[in-house]
Amino acid sequence: MRIAMLGWEFPPFVSGGLGVHCFELTRALCSRGVEIDFFMPGCGKKPQPSCPGIRIIDVAETKLKPYLFVAKRGQSTGYGDNLLSAVNEYADACASGVVAEAESRGYDVLHAHDWLTAPAASRVKRRLSLPLVQTFHSTEFDRTSYPWDCILGIERQAAADADLIIAVSKRTREQVLRLGARQEKIRVVYNGVDRKRFREIEGERKYADEFKKGRKVVLFLGRLTEQKGPVQLLHAAKLVLEREPGTLFVIAGKGELLPLLISMAMHLGISKNVRFLGFVPDEDQRRIYRIADVYVMPSTSEPFGITALEAMSSGVPVIVSKTSGVSEVVKSAIRVDFWDIDRMADRILSVLQHPPLSRTMVEMANSDLEARTWERVAEETESIYREAAGKAR
Amino acid sequence: MEICIYFQVHQPLRLSQFSIFRKDGGHGGGYFDSELNRKIMEKVAGKCYLPANRLMLELLEKHPEFKVSYSLTGVFIEQCKMFAPEVLESFAALARTGRAEFLSETYHHSLSYLFSDKGEFLEQVKLHKEEISRFAKPSPVFRNTEAMFSNDIAYLVERMGYSGIMAEGLDHLLGWRSPNYLYGVKGCRNMKVLLRNYRLSDDIGYRFSAKWWSEYPLTAGKYASWLENLQGDCTNIFMDYETFGEHHWQDTGIFEFLRHLPPEILRRPNLGFSTPSELVGKVGIRDDIDAPDVTSWADMERDTSAWLGNEMQRDAFAALEKLGPAVKEKGDKDALRTWRMLGNSDHFYYMCTKSLSDQDVHNYFSPYDSPFDAYINYMNVLRDFSDGLKKG
Repeated sequence: MRIAMLGWEFPPFVSGGLGVHCFELTRALCSRGVEIDFFMPGCGKKPQPSCPGIRIIDVAETKLKPYLFVAKRGQSTGYGDNLLSAVNEYADACASGVVAEAESRGYDVLHAHDWLTAPAASRVKRRLSLPLVQTFHSTEFDRTSYPWDCILGIERQAAADADLIIAVSKRTREQVLRLGARQEKIRVVYNGVDRKRFREIEGERKYADEFKKGRKVVLFLGRLTEQKGPVQLLHAAKLVLEREPGTLFVIAGKGELLPLLISMAMHLGISKNVRFLGFVPDEDQRRIYRIADVYVMPSTSEPFGITALEAMSSGVPVIVSKTSGVSEVVKSAIRVDFWDIDRMADRILSVLQHPPLSRTMVEMANSDLEARTWERVAEETESIYREAAGKAR
Repeated sequence: MEICIYFQVHQPLRLSQFSIFRKDGGHGGGYFDSELNRKIMEKVAGKCYLPANRLMLELLEKHPEFKVSYSLTGVFIEQCKMFAPEVLESFAALARTGRAEFLSETYHHSLSYLFSDKGEFLEQVKLHKEEISRFAKPSPVFRNTEAMFSNDIAYLVERMGYSGIMAEGLDHLLGWRSPNYLYGVKGCRNMKVLLRNYRLSDDIGYRFSAKWWSEYPLTAGKYASWLENLQGDCTNIFMDYETFGEHHWQDTGIFEFLRHLPPEILRRPNLGFSTPSELVGKVGIRDDIDAPDVTSWADMERDTSAWLGNEMQRDAFAALEKLGPAVKEKGDKDALRTWRMLGNSDHFYYMCTKSLSDQDVHNYFSPYDSPFDAYINYMNVLRDFSDGLKKG
């Protein structure tokens, strides 16, 4: 089986869970014997293929990003005058690239990830009549409380054009239904984690101890946007610090809320105990998890939340918001409402203060993680490819 | 063959959602969720206790040879008084027939036997006996919380003056032997143990409404014919009373099954009913049971792991036990009552982290989102209670 996969990012050039997903999924699919041509925007440097069976093909350069950031002063967003025209420009270039390859390669299924690649996939589908599988890693409803019509329009079209849709959680399935997709063509495939990547290596403990200097660390890792809930976490931090003044809150990630969060920490009088790390490159993430005594993912709307599984793989107890996909499938995490600041602080304090709780959570994580391998994701994805191919026939 | 039917009747005193930031200064009033406890008590009273007791009274009046036995926890009785006094009155009416026996147990449905100091266990059993004596004749047969049983428990209970004790009829205790006889207990003098026939009990308690079960639907006639063909002196059918109307809803036909069971049994000449004390009085022992470790009727493991199986549970239980001496030293009746209520085994049951099928059963009964929340909430309450003790 040969797949034309349309992605946006691939390690080491990653800004979120999408890149991790594509890397791990293609690797696991390859080892099942599925061949993959991975089409993505050129970025000057060549990404590492995840296994020998995959070809990475640059189709065009673009300034678009999967997560739209607010421009800094004096900078342009780079989208030109019109976001839509930038999207269409890339879609045309990408579609031509796929069609050119298709002649010699003969694809069975077309698989697109998220809204940015969807217009290209629709064009290819129209020209080649290939069965189309569309994965939604998130929707505009998750990313902002003020959904943008332009992007919603693209997502609605993607939901309509796809033969089968993969949603990364039941929660995401609900959002895709809001886009007008028919229930019967949506399949839920949860994300996975490669536990091996997060196993402790020698010397890491020492690095962590040096960083911590005896303090307990509460970790946040994610884009600093409304969706990820860092504001709620800082409010909870204030309450935690009243009881445990030595606690350190480490906020890793970049995003439009950074200036706001910094001034918020000052206003709350907790800036001494909050450390902003900025963007953490892939290779450093494993070390960051190692310093945490508890990992908090307070997202207001999280389609899945791979970082929760990564933290668990690193032996860290995890608190997640109930409005996250990962909370549907893990039993070893504590679930809170993102808006319940008091409860969030209570749970953080409890994990820090009761080692029996923390140890039981880490112990229980094993069975959660065993169930969430990329091999399983690939197996489920492949059967969706076969279903799509069968439907088209 | 004597048929001995027994029902456990209990409702836990569930805790409030108690934040780490809340300070009640050790006053037990805010620890328990009166609204939730009332709601559940009223619901179960309507679905189970009242209709089941009405039917039971009818059966006792109609069939003079029918007999039944219960144990009611003190926690249950207190909640009856608070939220549903008519339920307690309906049990008293059963007691007045003289053919409903009420067994002894710990007042607080607690794990107090597992404290290293057994004094607290003795006191809770005594408290329970006093409470039951208000409406029924105390039974000489004892049933420990969740049927916890061992040689040592039986020995202690015998010294307290009991002549019989209930236990789970576990295969590893019995070996090749049948549960359908009375046994003595290793190390005891005259103690007799009544072993639960778990297959026949679970046929009603768990499988009655299971459509996947090959014997579905179970009728009273079919069940009585199984009993008719058993070998032995007695068959002990023990289960939660909530089986009727709560675990199996009324529309499953469970009440109709119960209505027809006594006449179906009584019309078979080799079958009759006995209460636990009658069994102990008239049936001799065949052999001794040896139970060096504590067994129970809970979960697949049938041991204490439902309450003390993980580190959180053991930590919470140890923290509770540690407060005991300070509570008693203080001599405050309210503090003592609160501490004992915090010893309900249910609080620890909610913290269980077992996987597989048992976890679903734990979750079904739990008011918490997860075992972690159960532990955190319990420890928050215990910390506030402990702070209150220190303040004096």
